[in-house]
Amino acid sequence: MIGFLMNSWVARVIPIGMVLLAVQTTLLVELRPFGVSVQIVLAYVAATGAVGGVDRGAIVGFTVGLMYDLAVGTPLGATAVTMALAGYVAGIGRLFRIESHWWILALQSAVGAAVGEAMVPVVRLVIGEASVSPTGLLTVVGVVTAAALVASPVLAPLGRWSLSLQRSEMKLPPEIRAEV
Amino acid sequence: MPLYSAGRRRVIIALALTSALLLTLDLRGNRLFDAARSGFTVALQPFQQAAEVASTPIERLWRAYSDFDTLEEENRVLRAQVDAQRSAEIAAQNAIIENQDLLALNSLESLASYDSVTARLVGQSPTNFDQQVEIDRGSIHGIRVGMPAVNEAGLVGKVTRVAPTSSVIMLVTDPSYAVQVKILSVGGEDPDQVVPGFTTTTAVTEEESFPGADQGAVREEFPIATSTSTTVVLDDRVNLPEVEVIRETGVLRGQGDERLPRVSFVAGNSAFGRIEIGDTVFTAGGSTSLAPPNIPVGRVANVITRAGTAGQELEVALSPDLGRLQFVRVVLYQPPTELQP
Repeated sequence: MIGFLMNSWVARVIPIGMVLLAVQTTLLVELRPFGVSVQIVLAYVAATGAVGGVDRGAIVGFTVGLMYDLAVGTPLGATAVTMALAGYVAGIGRLFRIESHWWILALQSAVGAAVGEAMVPVVRLVIGEASVSPTGLLTVVGVVTAAALVASPVLAPLGRWSLSLQRSEMKLPPEIRAEV
Repeated sequence: MPLYSAGRRRVIIALALTSALLLTLDLRGNRLFDAARSGFTVALQPFQQAAEVASTPIERLWRAYSDFDTLEEENRVLRAQVDAQRSAEIAAQNAIIENQDLLALNSLESLASYDSVTARLVGQSPTNFDQQVEIDRGSIHGIRVGMPAVNEAGLVGKVTRVAPTSSVIMLVTDPSYAVQVKILSVGGEDPDQVVPGFTTTTAVTEEESFPGADQGAVREEFPIATSTSTTVVLDDRVNLPEVEVIRETGVLRGQGDERLPRVSFVAGNSAFGRIEIGDTVFTAGGSTSLAPPNIPVGRVANVITRAGTAGQELEVALSPDLGRLQFVRVVLYQPPTELQP
């Protein structure tokens, strides 16, 4: 049981989530380019979705999102659902791509992060919590997307490691590649 | 596996349903979730402390880069303001002491009636949609959910989450924040404008004078903000003209980081059109209010007249600078309705 847990993705994702949450709640609340808090946890989830695909992206996003809700005090499940969506959207690209070039992963991460961050006020509105002006939202989504794009070359290998993905899993099998 | 396979759909539906269930349980209030939050906060603390140590040099570098010019200019302006305010502060402190003595003599409630805990800010909200800060004092220091937080300038927010050694304060600007306030306005030039039921006419015979008092001028500021030109007259009592204090209550709600909080009134308010820019806003208190009365909140910055019977709305410029908070004082006040029997 312990061996299974140690080898499973849970044993890797949770410590990584804790470290990233610590960075999110300390360093990144101070460093606010254009007054926006860069969402490193969201960027990690999107990068993991980009390398792992929609299922794993959504599940990792949900898990890390729950940790985020517990740490920040947002309603439990509110961030989890947005991060699950971010991981899912970022993972969609894996269904179509042939090679996992770093810049393709970066683009997938950026799209996933953008969708995830844009969904935060929507979910808050649904549960009757906050109202955000469209102007502010554009800036927030823009900065968060750019940060996810820039951080992807670091976070994508981290996501690959946390899912215990082999390099070969990132590509199509050789016989299919030959056909392509 | 295709994008919409049965297995994939099951995963997505399971996640969505779990989120909905958790949200419902949490929004209805759940002790298990509260305990999980406290536990997770404690578990995260070592990671945060390590991250704080590692990130401090980066933070300093960032601040040095981003804030230097602004700070230099602000420092110059503030020095000039401090010089101008020094004498006013003495007069104001005197007025505060007199006010507190009078409240105590009449057994009236004031902020001085409550103990408080001073706390240092240790973090801000990591999200882009909440206005919250974290402080380094918690339940072991007597802090409870709902208590108001203030600083020297006035109301800062309320405690929304308490761990043993830390708490989270929702700032006044958060869209979820609401508190009952009163707007105090000193008017009275035109007796016809007095509306019974919403105004009180008080014959003031204070032992002080101000420029123009002998010509029948009305003092523009609330007494606590006595100008530096005020002179206290001890022997010759000066009879001031009748001063009309308009006192109106409403609910102040946060509007987010970029917009000023607003006070909305009920429709058909008979003080309509009487409140002006610059009028002072204080907490109203009351048995259900989360803050005791007479905590300064700010000044009216804009009066918005809405069409029809929608009533009037006020935008309030807050007294505290919420972007520069370093310390706050949590007033150990709980409204009677929140107290455990």
